[in-house]
Amino acid sequence: MGKVIVITSGKGGVGKTTSTANLGTALAMLDKTVVIVDADVGLRNLDVVMGLESRVVYTSMDVIEKRCELSKALVKDRRVENLMLLAASQRNRKDDIRPEQMQDICEKLKEDYDFVLIDSPAGIEQGFHNAAAGADEAIIVTTPDLSAIRDADRIIGLLQNEGIEPINLVINRLSATLVRKGNMISKNDVLDILNIDLLGVIPEDTGVIASTNRGVPLVHTERSPGAEAYMRIARRMTGQRVPIPDMREDSFLDQIANWFSKKK
Amino acid sequence: MDFRSLFTRKSKSSSIATQRLQLILTQDRFEVSEDSMKKLQLELTEVLAKYFEFTMNSVSMSIKREGNSYVLMADFPYSKTNKIR
Ligand SMILES: Nc1ncnc2c1ncn2[C@@H]1O[C@H](COP(=O)(O)OP(=O)(O)O)[C@@H](O)[C@H]1O
Ligand SMILES: [Mg+2]
Repeated sequence: MGKVIVITSGKGGVGKTTSTANLGTALAMLDKTVVIVDADVGLRNLDVVMGLESRVVYTSMDVIEKRCELSKALVKDRRVENLMLLAASQRNRKDDIRPEQMQDICEKLKEDYDFVLIDSPAGIEQGFHNAAAGADEAIIVTTPDLSAIRDADRIIGLLQNEGIEPINLVINRLSATLVRKGNMISKNDVLDILNIDLLGVIPEDTGVIASTNRGVPLVHTERSPGAEAYMRIARRMTGQRVPIPDMREDSFLDQIANWFSKKK
Repeated sequence: MDFRSLFTRKSKSSSIATQRLQLILTQDRFEVSEDSMKKLQLELTEVLAKYFEFTMNSVSMSIKREGNSYVLMADFPYSKTNKIR
């Protein structure tokens, strides 16, 4: 029996779809069986990020309305074995699906796969509730800025009310240079504020855009800081103990200040 | 004094963001109006002021997440030189 993990954030554009695509791919590369589910009905793009748009025939809506078997609706990835995509309907609206229907799909998928990752839409409405309905666990994606962190906090509260646990955090688009200059909230400040467990930190990486253009998830790229960060998170998700490396956020002055305060 | 303040002229935008966020989240998590929060803060201060000496604006309140629940915290600066009345 596998587990269902919803990847969500509250705010849009923080990296939910990018993270779902890369973590799904990375887990499959680690020999896990994986389904990634696009729950962003009406605004689907997980298929595009995966480069699978031309292979999508059926969607979760077809499964719900019994036009097609669940197993037939799954699209096989082009590059990695054991990786499947369940696309969202582009013609429907988020409230055309009920939470029980999503739950039903998740229950069935986790019987056959190790990991079921749900790419949640932005917002706290029906679409979010559908995405979280069948989830055992959650990954919150946030960027280190005020409004994303505020929305993440709200979502954490909602997920806790639904009894979803654990809820882990991924901080995306962190720039060590900006943190050092004092122009970006640091990893530790984000953790201090949200106070949930950190699963990993993804640096700002221009490779993400190029990989989306090509429809090839970043984790296929060698020597990319973003790809390495996603691989480490995937290892952690499989239960391996992988340390979270420091991104050298401390400035030279901070380091001297720390040294002074230790002396006292 | 903070060693770093010798070198940095204006305060960093990240620390301003962090402070603002703490305030915003306290209100989001509290689900009460700013007015009620100020009133609570004032009344708490009045009670403690019977025993300790401090100024009203040195008191701060926040809500912190601890696992699945929240902890309401009121910070009152305390030092031994504060006379106990
Ligand atoms: N680590 C990163 N570095 C640079 N750009 C990123 C990173 N993560 C995401 N992006 C970019 O941010 C945009 C939004 O990402 P996306 O995954 O679609 O967010 P969401 O699904 O949360 O709306 C995309 O254009 C993506 O290329
Ligand atoms: Mg998305």
